[in-house]
Amino acid sequence: MIFYIIRRLLAAIPTLLAVLTLVFLIVRVVPGDPAIAILGDRATPDGIAALHAKLGLDKPIWQQYVDFLGQSLSGDFGRSMVTGRPILTDVGAVLPHTIDLTLASLVVGIAMGIPVGIWAALHRNRFIDYAARMLSLIGLSFPVFVSGIFILLLFALHWRLFPVIGNARLDDPLDRLNKLVLPAATLGLVMAAYITRVTRSAMLSVLGEDYIRTARAKGVPWRRVVWRHGLRNAAMPVVTVVGLYIGILIGNSVLTEIVFNRPGLGKIIVGALNQRDYTMLQGLMVIYCFLIVVVNLITDLTYGLIDPRVKQ
Amino acid sequence: MLIRAALAVAAIAVAAPAVAQPKTALNVGIAAQDIGQLDPHFAVSTIDRVLAAWMFNGLVRFPPGSIDPARLEPDLAERWEASPDGKTWTFHLRHGVQFHGGFGELTADDVVFSLKKAGEAKTSAFSSELRPFQTIEAIDPYTVLVVLKENVPSVLGILTNYAQGFIVSKKAVEQRGDDFKRNPIGTRPFAFASVTPNQSLELMANQAYFRGAPKINKISYRFMPSDASRDLAFQSGELDLNYGRADQAWVNRTKALPHTIVDIFEPAEEGQLHLNTTVKPLDDVRVRQAIAYAINRPELVRWRGADVSREAQSVVPRGYLGFTADNGLTGNDVEKAKTLLKQAGYAEGLTIKMIQSQLPEMLTAAQVFQAQLKRAGVNLDLQVVEHATYHQQIRQDLSPIVYYSAARFPVADIYLTQFFHSRSIVKTPTAVTNFSHCDVADKEIDGARVETDKVKQLALWAEAQKKIVAHVCAVPLFETLLVFARHDNLDYGYKLDGSLSLGPLITEATHFK
Repeated sequence: MIFYIIRRLLAAIPTLLAVLTLVFLIVRVVPGDPAIAILGDRATPDGIAALHAKLGLDKPIWQQYVDFLGQSLSGDFGRSMVTGRPILTDVGAVLPHTIDLTLASLVVGIAMGIPVGIWAALHRNRFIDYAARMLSLIGLSFPVFVSGIFILLLFALHWRLFPVIGNARLDDPLDRLNKLVLPAATLGLVMAAYITRVTRSAMLSVLGEDYIRTARAKGVPWRRVVWRHGLRNAAMPVVTVVGLYIGILIGNSVLTEIVFNRPGLGKIIVGALNQRDYTMLQGLMVIYCFLIVVVNLITDLTYGLIDPRVKQ
Repeated sequence: MLIRAALAVAAIAVAAPAVAQPKTALNVGIAAQDIGQLDPHFAVSTIDRVLAAWMFNGLVRFPPGSIDPARLEPDLAERWEASPDGKTWTFHLRHGVQFHGGFGELTADDVVFSLKKAGEAKTSAFSSELRPFQTIEAIDPYTVLVVLKENVPSVLGILTNYAQGFIVSKKAVEQRGDDFKRNPIGTRPFAFASVTPNQSLELMANQAYFRGAPKINKISYRFMPSDASRDLAFQSGELDLNYGRADQAWVNRTKALPHTIVDIFEPAEEGQLHLNTTVKPLDDVRVRQAIAYAINRPELVRWRGADVSREAQSVVPRGYLGFTADNGLTGNDVEKAKTLLKQAGYAEGLTIKMIQSQLPEMLTAAQVFQAQLKRAGVNLDLQVVEHATYHQQIRQDLSPIVYYSAARFPVADIYLTQFFHSRSIVKTPTAVTNFSHCDVADKEIDGARVETDKVKQLALWAEAQKKIVAHVCAVPLFETLLVFARHDNLDYGYKLDGSLSLGPLITEATHFK
């Protein structure tokens, strides 16, 4: 198992290198000059040239690339071109918030999506099934910036149960939890809708298999058939979807972060893109890519736990 | 009797702690992802400028709540005198002004250092403003001598608590180097305390402030890019002061909230359509005149909102020293526009490209101009790009028509120089924001800058405006005022009519009632 993990991590190195190169090129191909973004509308050619020199943007592209690769490989992502703060400090400050939100919405999504999906599959074409499908469709159709505002209106403004501003103090677990509930519910509901549909369809497919019929013919209790033979076999596509969705969540949580005023990776990426903060974008994309690699690895390891055939 | 008195004392003693103390922590919501530059000489965005003015003083200042250059008053300099020819200025500094963080007393060395830093392109975004300064010297620890190369319309205006005029601690900049922009040191009532990326920036009271200790102890400057959730946080009481929207519906809705005051104040940003006079078909003055006739300013103000906007009357915003409405600006006349286009050989109409930012407030405005021009047969081909791309491409001279909105120091010279002097034409070594390639009023603009006779100076600025309007280098559209909302228990301590830092100034007198 350890060798497998090491092998997978080593295999991620070319991916990370490719991402480093792509990000370096993409941020420079996109029009927009960081010096103009920093100096504002009174930027003079003198000022722009001086700032280019200070930021190292006057060097040939290949030299910038070599510098960037050298720094990245030594684990130094440099400083933000705009704020001058070390990138790892900024990322370190917001990463716990992103992880909180991702994990909490994952828990909400799984806790709601899997039971509802199973329930709907077991009551195919009956009221419960229709209701679950309808609700999941609604969950998927509402953009987070709409559902988030509705949730804030109800729970933060009308009932005053939670705050509107979600920037929690990391050293205070209660504050952290208090400010996590609404964004996690908002994002978790979307995820639940997605998981419900995947679980339902996977369960329906499995429940029609011969081995289910055989188990039932042998007199195995229905509950046991569902749990042991049905769900375990239906779990593979669900885990795949959850794994993929975590990757999407890390990046797509930006709208939730903006609506609920939470710090997070997604929000930093958008800010860096708007300001053409090349160094920040490069650093963030590498970190983001690394997180995706880790999530994929965990997903693959989970396959092995669910289905012993995968280990072989 | 004794028992009754004792009970009364006890009752007071018990009740006393229950008396609510006024708030001393101010929570401000601002539409931004994060802070940009904390070095005041690089503070160019609204979010940075609002904050810089809370931390730094200038040699002179606008009285809080005013942007009237005629009312400038002492700030770090307690008095000053000028030579008869107006080229030599002596500033006498206040004694005992302390920098934040134990960086000591302000001296002439700090002032000289700050102004030299602000005048250097490597260390300031406003270096061009200090170009007329020949020497800046410290005569003694409390006296600074400034010698000009040539007269300027307002020396005090350059040295006010705005942009290049902010005074920083020499010792702090030298000691902290590049880190100064993350940990700045000024002299105002509020000192930088900390910043949490993507969340907020905290300021703490400077108890040693020379005008007295501030009544607000702490300011939390929260970065909240979502308008909707910032408004909700304001309604829920989590914010005391909220960055508003120059939008009539927003103003009406917010004014209707209980215990809420909406402040609408100067300076207004004037939006103009800059027409590149050197490219076809805009090189034909009749086409530019047709565009000017097609624009309907009253309609634009109705669309934008009467509380937050007003018609632009010249190529210089209203209220600026040197502004004149008597400049020959034409009104809306679609038929005349069509006739002019026909005379120019475009009887069937024409299409002109315009690169436009995707920022909603800019894009929707552009769509309104597009609809107005369409009535006259001008098809505005909007090429929508992301905001940073827009700024780069308009400076590369890629857009024949540029919609640009700006406020500047309220003296006509700066607006006229940056937008209409040939020195400022984009893609030249001295470029600023002359997108129209206008060069018809260089003589008047240069002449007015060094003219010491105030009447003649005003006449030259008026002549410059007439020439630019006649040549249709740009079409003035509307002026948009600044909007903030606050709860009525927050008292600025002054009447807010204007603020050059683009946000309400929080002073030592600001308090909660």
